[in-house]
Amino acid sequence: MTLVDDLASAAATGNTAGVEDLLRRGADVNGVNKYGRTPLQVMMMGSTPVARLLLARGSRPNVADSSTGTTPLHDAAREGFLDTLRVLLEFKADPGARDHFNSRPVDLARQSGHDDVVEFLKLLEEAN
Amino acid sequence: MAQGASFPYEEVAEIGGGAYGTVYKARDTESGKFVALKSVRVQTDQDGLPISTVREVALLKRLEQFDHPNVVRLMDVCAIQRTDSETKVTLVFEHVDQDLKTYLEKAPAPGLSQDRIKDLMRQLLCGLGFLHSNRVMHRDLKPENVLVTSGGQVKLADFGLARIYSCHMALTPVVVTLWYRPPEVLLGSSYATPVDIWSTGCIFAEMFRRKPLFCGESEMDQLGKIFQVIGLPSEEEWPKDVTITRKQFLPPNHPPITNFVPELSEQGAELLLEMLTFDPLQRISALNALEHEYLKEEETADTEGSTREGDAIP
Repeated sequence: MTLVDDLASAAATGNTAGVEDLLRRGADVNGVNKYGRTPLQVMMMGSTPVARLLLARGSRPNVADSSTGTTPLHDAAREGFLDTLRVLLEFKADPGARDHFNSRPVDLARQSGHDDVVEFLKLLEEAN
Repeated sequence: MAQGASFPYEEVAEIGGGAYGTVYKARDTESGKFVALKSVRVQTDQDGLPISTVREVALLKRLEQFDHPNVVRLMDVCAIQRTDSETKVTLVFEHVDQDLKTYLEKAPAPGLSQDRIKDLMRQLLCGLGFLHSNRVMHRDLKPENVLVTSGGQVKLADFGLARIYSCHMALTPVVVTLWYRPPEVLLGSSYATPVDIWSTGCIFAEMFRRKPLFCGESEMDQLGKIFQVIGLPSEEEWPKDVTITRKQFLPPNHPPITNFVPELSEQGAELLLEMLTFDPLQRISALNALEHEYLKEEETADTEGSTREGDAIP
């Protein structure tokens, strides 16, 4: 296991203290683990503290899954985690990104019935 | 069990491990959704998979037919033969991307409301009652495998695997947390479904405290910490079939439980102590806990509503 493998696993399990520790020890926030994914791509989507930590350290917010084109914003929208979604947007995640099924984050939120996320993304669109 | 059929899941990160195999977060490339993959390597011979494994998998599939709202969905089971003598059985579960540990960490000070805690407890006990009435014990219940969806729905994960694993587990000791383990397991006595109620009691206290109740560093230390809260059990209650003796512990003057869980109401404290009962046979069951006065009490909001209605009547 490399440091990035550990960082990705800590992010995926929502282990905030572990993520902090690994970043301090020099784990590359934009490196990929042995499955080719960055820590932000695999993080526990409900863990807003982990999202904020990774993004504040310069994690690129718009890296899409190589197989499905899914970005972290798509995942946060589909799972309905409005708090994490807002942090991602704060760090310039693209709400217009389309996955390989031609869906935007708002489309996935609508399909999953997360009305609060849909409403937020629509307001954001109107504001821009 | 699908044998060598299409496998549309791509591993993206390791989220757990042990002597028995690794747990992965993976993506279903057909739906785009995350799943959890749990694999176990089993020894096979000319007759194929061992009957014990087939039986356990069949039990999990039978549970799945009930579509219970408080347990994660089992979406798929795949068996892939690795060598002549080894087959990898992979269970594909729904992945909920938030656990109770994260949920508690995120709750703004001073923590979750009483009503929210009651709701979470009802759902947790409902899921547990379902597993227990199907004779499945969880055995490793902790905040990390009590999952909470973004809509606040509780779903238990990692149940029913213990027996599959223990049949095939190598002798390598797996590092697992002691904090949610009941006395009968720590003492090496026999155990059954009441183990999960003990763990649920620890989790109940943690919902108020937002930190674990018993953080032992060894099995003896864990037992000592437990007795500081529930008191040292009597000689009669001490199991006969264990090597650790009661005399190894000082009889502490244990303060009331509300010293450890300050915001707890009288009825809440009563339920907690019924869950943290030393004797597993005396410990409350999941279904009886659901019937406990504390959980039957109406939500504060409802009470307020009915008061207002009452006021309107001349």
